[in-house]
Amino acid sequence: MTYFSFTKGELLTLLRRKQDTMNALIFFLMVVILFPLGVSPSPEFLSVAAGGIIWCAASLAILMSVEGMFKEDFNDGCLEQWLVSGLSLPVLILLKVSIHWLIVIVPLLIMAPILAQMLFLPMDIFYVLLQTLILGTPALFLIGTIGSALTVSLRHGAVLMLLIIIPFYLPVIIFSTGAIRAAQSGMLYDGQIAILAAISLASLVVSPIMSAISIKASVS
Amino acid sequence: MSWTWFHKLGSPKWFFQFASRWSLGVFLSGVVLLLIGLVWGLAFAPEDYQQGNSFRIIYIHVPAAILAQSCYLGLGVAGFVFLVWQMKMAPIFIKSVAPLGALVALIALVSGAIWGKPTWGTWWVWDARLTSVLVLFLLYMGVIAIQNSLEDKILADKAVAVIGVVGLINLPIIKYSVEWWNTLHQPATFKLTEKPAMPMEMWLPLLISSLGLYLFIAGLAMLRMQTEVLNRERRSSWVKEEVLKNGI
Repeated sequence: MTYFSFTKGELLTLLRRKQDTMNALIFFLMVVILFPLGVSPSPEFLSVAAGGIIWCAASLAILMSVEGMFKEDFNDGCLEQWLVSGLSLPVLILLKVSIHWLIVIVPLLIMAPILAQMLFLPMDIFYVLLQTLILGTPALFLIGTIGSALTVSLRHGAVLMLLIIIPFYLPVIIFSTGAIRAAQSGMLYDGQIAILAAISLASLVVSPIMSAISIKASVS
Repeated sequence: MSWTWFHKLGSPKWFFQFASRWSLGVFLSGVVLLLIGLVWGLAFAPEDYQQGNSFRIIYIHVPAAILAQSCYLGLGVAGFVFLVWQMKMAPIFIKSVAPLGALVALIALVSGAIWGKPTWGTWWVWDARLTSVLVLFLLYMGVIAIQNSLEDKILADKAVAVIGVVGLINLPIIKYSVEWWNTLHQPATFKLTEKPAMPMEMWLPLLISSLGLYLFIAGLAMLRMQTEVLNRERRSSWVKEEVLKNGI
């Protein structure tokens, strides 16, 4: 196994099992639909709340898609192979998360303009939303990976993982919706965007190492 | 500087003997200090000119809030120690302290809500500090949940250490993010670098009750850790000797 063959294998698995990705995206759509139905369908409310709604839905969808990330590999013994392959485990994990991010975020970004229209989000605010999604979601994926690696040996680990991981998502959600709110009231939002990027970069450093520790503990 | 104390901490046997000498004393002195601080604060300290008597809940609220943060700090540091040096005592510490931390965080939340009613007019506001203590409480619950759910004890120890370290990195981010997000709460009561804004008769009992709660929690944590050490080392010969000689 080399890094290249690993990447190719992961990419192929994800592309051939489109249903998993589809499920996460449908889930995203459904959570978004809950808000107009459950709170209020009026354009005044929705145009203000759209950024927050899309972000909450995206976080939940990402949690769902990240949760089972290592499950298959754990069950069929791939994780052991990673450990004995002589390749660096954090790098392998980073590759895997990056592929997952790419596969989920691209359709999510394609869906975003449609949802923004449905939620009456003005076009100029929509560009801010796009920036926050591109810069903030890597952090969500990376932090989620730690939880997924921790609970990989559990049969019903999903709820436990949500319980552990959601508190760590709060800063990302606060800063991204903060940027959107600042843009809505006509203020500068560069600060929030920069902090989002900083959180993503920090998770890039911490998450592969922590996930590798957890996977090693889970396998042996 | 000698590092022997640090290496000694890695030995459950040494810790057990150390704790059996100190835990009860620490716990009882904590109880005494806490009582002195609370009685002084609740009955004898002067009234606040603005909030009247309702401010007195500060003598419960502030120590609990400080402890909630300190416990998590300790938990995160212990997690780091465990991940780096694989010290046996670190996960025992985490396991014993997490429920205590959750408890003080809950006390801080509840007393804060009770204090908020007369001063702000509501039980709860979505204010930075309240929210960050709530998040802290949730973090503790996560640590407890994962400790209890993982059957494999070695994995459980690793898992709580990982969560502790990630939480330690994340805690300042969470704290500042909610602080920028929304603030209604008054600024921190104790700052190490500044002279307190309260008069001496008001902050001295606060200091005493904070110290008392520290000792109280430390004593409780040591007692809990002793139990945990006995449980984990139950197959070793020194535990057998200890139990046969001194009973449980």
